[in-house]
Amino acid sequence: MKRKLIGAALAGTMLAQISPAGADELRMAWWGGDSRHVATQKALELCGAKHGHVIKGEFTGFDGYLEKLTTQMAGSTEADIMQVNWPWLPLFSKDGTGFADLRNLKPLDLTQWSEEDLAAGSMSGVLQGLPVSTTGRAFFFNTTTFEKAGVPIPTTWTEFFEATASVKEKLGADYYTFNAVKETAQLLVTLAVVQKTGKDLVDPATNRVAWTPEELAEGISFLGKLVETGAIRSQKQEAADGNVNLFEKPDWAAGKIAGSYEWDSTYSKYADPLAEGQVLKPVPMLKLDGAVTDGVYRKPSMVFAISKNSKNPEAAAQILNCLLNEPEGIDALGTSRGLPASKAAATRLANEGEPEVRAANEIVMAASGPLVSPFNEHPEIRGLFIDTLEEFAYGQIDAMAAAEQIIDGTNDVLADFD
Amino acid sequence: MKGQRFLGLAYLAPYIIGLLVFTAVPFLASLYLSFTDYDLLSAPEWVGWDNFKKLFTRDRTFWKSLNVTLLYVFITVPLKLAFALFIAAILNYRLRFINFFRTAFYVPSILGGSIAIAVLWRYMFASEGLVNMALGTVGLVPVDWFGDPGNALFTITLLRCWQFGSAMVIFLAALQSIDKSLYEAAAIDGASKTRIFFYITLPLLTPVIFFNLIMQMVQAFQEFNGPYIITQGGPLKSTYLLPLYIYDEAFKKFDMGYASAIAWVLFVIIMVLTLIAFWSSKKWVYYAGDKRS
Repeated sequence: MKRKLIGAALAGTMLAQISPAGADELRMAWWGGDSRHVATQKALELCGAKHGHVIKGEFTGFDGYLEKLTTQMAGSTEADIMQVNWPWLPLFSKDGTGFADLRNLKPLDLTQWSEEDLAAGSMSGVLQGLPVSTTGRAFFFNTTTFEKAGVPIPTTWTEFFEATASVKEKLGADYYTFNAVKETAQLLVTLAVVQKTGKDLVDPATNRVAWTPEELAEGISFLGKLVETGAIRSQKQEAADGNVNLFEKPDWAAGKIAGSYEWDSTYSKYADPLAEGQVLKPVPMLKLDGAVTDGVYRKPSMVFAISKNSKNPEAAAQILNCLLNEPEGIDALGTSRGLPASKAAATRLANEGEPEVRAANEIVMAASGPLVSPFNEHPEIRGLFIDTLEEFAYGQIDAMAAAEQIIDGTNDVLADFD
Repeated sequence: MKGQRFLGLAYLAPYIIGLLVFTAVPFLASLYLSFTDYDLLSAPEWVGWDNFKKLFTRDRTFWKSLNVTLLYVFITVPLKLAFALFIAAILNYRLRFINFFRTAFYVPSILGGSIAIAVLWRYMFASEGLVNMALGTVGLVPVDWFGDPGNALFTITLLRCWQFGSAMVIFLAALQSIDKSLYEAAAIDGASKTRIFFYITLPLLTPVIFFNLIMQMVQAFQEFNGPYIITQGGPLKSTYLLPLYIYDEAFKKFDMGYASAIAWVLFVIIMVLTLIAFWSSKKWVYYAGDKRS
């Protein structure tokens, strides 16, 4: 009797394992907001049904995602399909072995990406991630505030400083024409240096900082000028308010902070909280006098990678291809991750998405600038920039000392990747 | 009999396994890792004392963070203990609705460590927050709680002091266990309330003060949530406590070996201060039946 029971149990277990023929259980991890979570879950359901797999979503906000992913990668427990921030590729796959080589996975139709896109997702020549969309920083201005002050939306930095003076004079000293904290401050300094020099932070030939201390000091002084002229609030004021996100600030909603430099795809995040009647518009890149380039900060927003530890990378590739290249995935995902890089998705979604997001993306795509290195967003380099700019803002060091500190620290980090 | 012994071990097993797997193994692993260069994604590489040498000779951030941490502990612990004892002494009186007040004063300790309260703290002490509004209503100038490096640490310490409930409950229990006849005898001899407090209550509370001192000190050294959520260690690293530094080194710079080295230095500091507290306790802690006069 006992033997029969054991036999029945074993047979049952075997049946349970083989009954959903060909089906695989996969995991996919991503970060994002509610709309992206809903869209991705729907897309996974449709793609899973199409290819006969079950995919479990593991989603969260951006904060803490890197830490979670790192811990999982260290323990080889990462999801089969992962959304990876493009600047993190060197962290996880310095030599192109951190993730599965996507060129070896047949279900993926790589002809849907340009060679430039595929190169951006490669490390040491090995395709590690498929770019989901291309993004960049764009200028957004609250046109209502500028109209109220009777000044046109600026097209150059010179016009911007003139407009700032007029806005403050006509609307009050508590009105600010711009915002720059933390990484936005870093990217504004970067913008100023790139416009003047035409060089990205890192020289790819030497893998060291391409800027001289004098060039970077000038960029840092530009940030100082934004504070001195009252265009942005000082770092001390921001800290006093608890470093609240721009889109959560009541002054932003009321139009008292009238501009910022944000990712093109985040237009809605900043437009939605505005009080009724306030209008936010993306505008072409503002340029400094004597600029040699627009200095656009453009890059793949994120990539989708497949784990090298995946038990069924082919199944994961089927799902990934469906999400990015097949109608079920494309329609369900829509523009939840920005305007897609895949040609199939771009064609299918040609008229989708908010017009303002599309306009911002067009500005970013049309602007000129050097190729951006992922090291611009290396956590250690970013931390170094932010800490040093804080010391500068509090008057602890001058612009030249800050520039030297950033260059020395950045070169130390880069040396680890020689 | 033998079966009962195994049953006892079976009951203990979950705790022992938990202790070994989740405490002892990580504890020893971190000691090993502190002597390695380990980025989580590749195998640890033995570097000997290099991490500790760098820590003590070249790392300015470590010294800054250590100073801030010690300052935080030396402000927070006495302030919190004094406040907890003060409230416990009040709640020891037989007042109307005393149970309600005891519960109400304990509630912050349940909520205090949570992320939501830290966020609330950030809004309350913002430049135009509730606290500055309250100061304004009584004619005082607003304070730059988070923007001024001189004030930010104090604002964080207030959050921890606000969570005085658990220390207070222990003090309250100790106050209630003091023999009433001692107070009666002192009252008959004409001792004032202040004198009674300092000559009877306080000496008899010293074992509990000692216990609370150790517990609060260890917890204060490990403070993370408050500064991480409210100030992110700023401005100018004025609230950059060592646990934040360990976290940044481990999960932002992926330098697990160095983070482990800092964690071990923190452990040694806590251990040394605890041993000093134990050694000094012989001079100021009085236990029942103690023959000292």
